[in-house]
Amino acid sequence: MKISYNWLKEIVETDLDPRELASRLTMAGLAVDAVEPHGDDQILEFDLTSNRPDCLSHLGIAREVAALSGLQVRMPEAEIKPVVERTGDVTTVEIRDADLCPRYTARVIRGVKIGPSPDWLVRRLEALGQRSVNNVADITNYVMLETGQPLHAFDLDRLQGRRIIVRRAVDGEKMTTLDGEERELTSSMLVIADAERAVAIGGIKGGEDSGISETTVDVLLEAAWFTPVQIRQTSKALALSTEASYRFERGTDPGIVSYASDRASALIARIAGGEVLDGLIDAYPGRSAVEASFQPILFRESRYEALTGLRVELAEAERILTALGCRVRQGSSSLASGTLEVVSPTWRIDVRIEEDLIEEVARIAGYDLLETSLPGSAGAGAYLIGEDDRRATRRLLTSAGFHEAVSFSFVNAGLDAQMSSAAEESRLVLLDPIDASQSHMRTALAGGLLRALEHNLNHGSRNVRLFEIGKCFQANQLEPDGRPTEIERLALIATGARNEFDWQDAGSRLDFYDLKGILEALADQLGLAALRFDPGAEIPWLHPGRAAMVSLANGDPLGSVGQLHPRLVAGFKVRQPILLAEIDFQRLLAAARVEARYNQLPKFPTVVRDLALLIETSVTWQSIDETIRSLNLTHLVDLRIFDIYRGRELPEGRHSIALSLRYRAADRTLTDEEITAAQEQVVRILTMRFGAELR
Amino acid sequence: MSDRIDQLREDFRRESGEVTGEQEATALRDRWVGRKSGLLTAEMKTLGRLSPEDRRLTGQLLNHLKEEIEQELELLESRFAAARELAQLASEQIDVTLPGRHLPAGHLHPITLLRQRIEDIFVSMGYHIEDGPEIETDFYNFDALNIPAIHPARSRQDTFYITGKLALRSQTSTVQIHSMQRRQPPLRVIAPGRVFRRDTPDATHNPMFYQVEGLLVERGITLGDLKGTIEEFVRRMFGPQTRTRFRPSYFPFVEPGAEIDYSCFKCGGTGCRVCKGSGWIEMGGSGMVHPNVLRGVGIDPDEYTGFAFGLGLDRLCALMYGLDDIRLLYENDIRFLEQFR
Ligand SMILES: [Zn+2]
Repeated sequence: MKISYNWLKEIVETDLDPRELASRLTMAGLAVDAVEPHGDDQILEFDLTSNRPDCLSHLGIAREVAALSGLQVRMPEAEIKPVVERTGDVTTVEIRDADLCPRYTARVIRGVKIGPSPDWLVRRLEALGQRSVNNVADITNYVMLETGQPLHAFDLDRLQGRRIIVRRAVDGEKMTTLDGEERELTSSMLVIADAERAVAIGGIKGGEDSGISETTVDVLLEAAWFTPVQIRQTSKALALSTEASYRFERGTDPGIVSYASDRASALIARIAGGEVLDGLIDAYPGRSAVEASFQPILFRESRYEALTGLRVELAEAERILTALGCRVRQGSSSLASGTLEVVSPTWRIDVRIEEDLIEEVARIAGYDLLETSLPGSAGAGAYLIGEDDRRATRRLLTSAGFHEAVSFSFVNAGLDAQMSSAAEESRLVLLDPIDASQSHMRTALAGGLLRALEHNLNHGSRNVRLFEIGKCFQANQLEPDGRPTEIERLALIATGARNEFDWQDAGSRLDFYDLKGILEALADQLGLAALRFDPGAEIPWLHPGRAAMVSLANGDPLGSVGQLHPRLVAGFKVRQPILLAEIDFQRLLAAARVEARYNQLPKFPTVVRDLALLIETSVTWQSIDETIRSLNLTHLVDLRIFDIYRGRELPEGRHSIALSLRYRAADRTLTDEEITAAQEQVVRILTMRFGAELR
Repeated sequence: MSDRIDQLREDFRRESGEVTGEQEATALRDRWVGRKSGLLTAEMKTLGRLSPEDRRLTGQLLNHLKEEIEQELELLESRFAAARELAQLASEQIDVTLPGRHLPAGHLHPITLLRQRIEDIFVSMGYHIEDGPEIETDFYNFDALNIPAIHPARSRQDTFYITGKLALRSQTSTVQIHSMQRRQPPLRVIAPGRVFRRDTPDATHNPMFYQVEGLLVERGITLGDLKGTIEEFVRRMFGPQTRTRFRPSYFPFVEPGAEIDYSCFKCGGTGCRVCKGSGWIEMGGSGMVHPNVLRGVGIDPDEYTGFAFGLGLDRLCALMYGLDDIRLLYENDIRFLEQFR
């Protein structure tokens, strides 16, 4: 909102220059964003908080300046010299819906001459970014900028029956507003009507064929008070926002209506000629309700000190509150000492409780008076449960070359559906997405990471590793208060060189085992028992032959790891495999930890024996491992695979695997015979079970 | 006899002077002091023929010569051994200026880096980090925060609704309510998290961003405690010279309310591009918890007072790292991400 410095000085004689003034007001809670010169004037640009509609005018800002500087506000001259004829004799006002319009005033000015405004008026309006229309319209605008009260001028001759009816519109009722738009109204909207039809949308915009024109002779000047909620709703429903609706929907001053009417009438008579009829028609059915809403509020010294940490003299608090327009009562026998009884002015609809008064006194006294202190110690702080594991996870993943991604919580519906195992009915949809292609709450992180990968590939990066930790949403599991369940998940995506900076091995590409290895390392880092990986041919977004289901050692499912299905990446420019893993991170963090226990260091040597076997390629390592372990060989302490060899010279469908078995006894050195016997058992069972052959 | 020994010494010196390689040195050793055929060994064997007197004298001279020769041989051999080692090492030279073999580390998201720093500061000041849902009911998102029924923030234009009653939270202040419902005062809470507003993305807006909410409710807490706490925080965050300024402001869930500014970490308050010349940077809103909010969760505002504050991580991130477009924060471009540590 713009305020003219020169105009302001007409209402309050401040001797502060515009910049000092801007700084004082900013520190009192009325933020001035900029001070710009305009001719011989300076324009202050305010960014006001929504609780201060009373400051949307020069008068409002002047009141603040006065309170801050100990000055008096000089109300602009509003004296009218009415003729004998009474307004009530030429028109009537009937309010049918007082809940939406508690106060409506009308005044008639006869014999005006519509024409251009005088230069000073044109310049004032232009300085504040307003275009001059004609003298009467300009004056209504001017008085609104001055007092904060929106006004509307009707051409009395164009009002059927020369009367005003304030009523709800009829559903489907149509009206053409001043901007030439035909608007269809509903019964929740308020209109100003004449005997036959709506002539204005109350508090928002006037009608096209009832407004002031060059031929207007008699003006009916409206000044009213509309309740904010309805104005906001109507303005939004019609997508029609005006200077008037902006003020009404925030809350105007019900007490200034008649003054603003007088002020505008006086200016019209002065500038456009004409005579002001005697007597303002002031229909005020809401008077008692409005007055009742300004009840006395107590201001206690003790409460002030309790909230601000500052002491205030009661006289000082009274001075400030009075300067702000409050009515203050002190020292009456019914009041406790150290207490004021305060009624806020009609323009301060935001001052309702004691804490509001406390802020008023504190901000005018100045927040820079605050003495800083630190609350006493209240014990140790604490991180979120699992935060140390989250940080350990982040460290491990960044060490493995992964950058941390953060994606929007809403994703493309199709992408999410393609890359998540969540059921269709568990998907949450935004009612009004910003971007229609990002309308669903994510049920998995994979979709966002795939998008991010695509972005990176499209921008020339070939080696990309990203991870994300974040919440995903499930509508089919509800919390007691009806909210959908939120699950913290972890996902990784990777493609490209195993290490692009290794100049001896730059060609080696990441594969399934790299990503699986990271999950294994993570479980190890977090102190969990080894994860389980089972073939996952049924995971729709992964390559059926290169995918695994991941679960905790106890079998609880965690998620999946694998190479992206070629179908999903057909459009990508790279041929290298893209690896993806996603797990329920919450479950991983909650999983039972393996307690560290000391084992005596071995006293006797470990014997290592290798074994090369020809075996069918379809036999999984897990089945070999489990088969050998099922022998329960007493002295077998470790079993590793250290090579897989496929060669043309080998029989079709078979490959050679090299195993390394380690044997040790706790109490003696093992004999050759013992070890050989164990090795024979291993070979025998693998031969029997899988048809393996010793090479 | 001593003539003979002088002759031997002279012979050895001449021969050793002619040695040019390690093999010749070994041959020289064999020829002179070899156990079977060495010249000196043979000479020693002749001692038996001498008279006891001569034998003693000659033996001494011979032994002396032998020591000399041994010393000379060792010197010779070690010289060649050193040369051989040098040659070996030279042949093993590599280019140490080639890059080392390591996997370059990935980087944490700048929002995470800031969040962790802020969490560390407040945990050390006795705060508990807490978390709340990203999808909220009207009650937590608005009602309990004293946000009026007609407040524009509630509109479908500003807030992402999922149903009439469920919406993506528009501020982390919702966690205040959860915390106060979970636990009784004294209470010190920091709640970082994502929030959502229906802003079309541009250089300074995203429909999702991060906030950090702070809440402290205890007996006898004042605005001065709030200011002191914020001062302590900004000093730890931006350096001990950082100053704080409070301006009155309005947020429905606090009263009195204040906007917090801190002196620019770049210019120290003299004015620069980061602070747009003002010397101050807006941190966020704060104030004394509104009595309606306290009453709503069953805390007596006459017994307990408290303060709350909030700050936006994305804006802080943009200022600290000099981002010219905050859409970059959620594009996950690795060329962007790898710049932060
Ligand atoms: Zn600066």
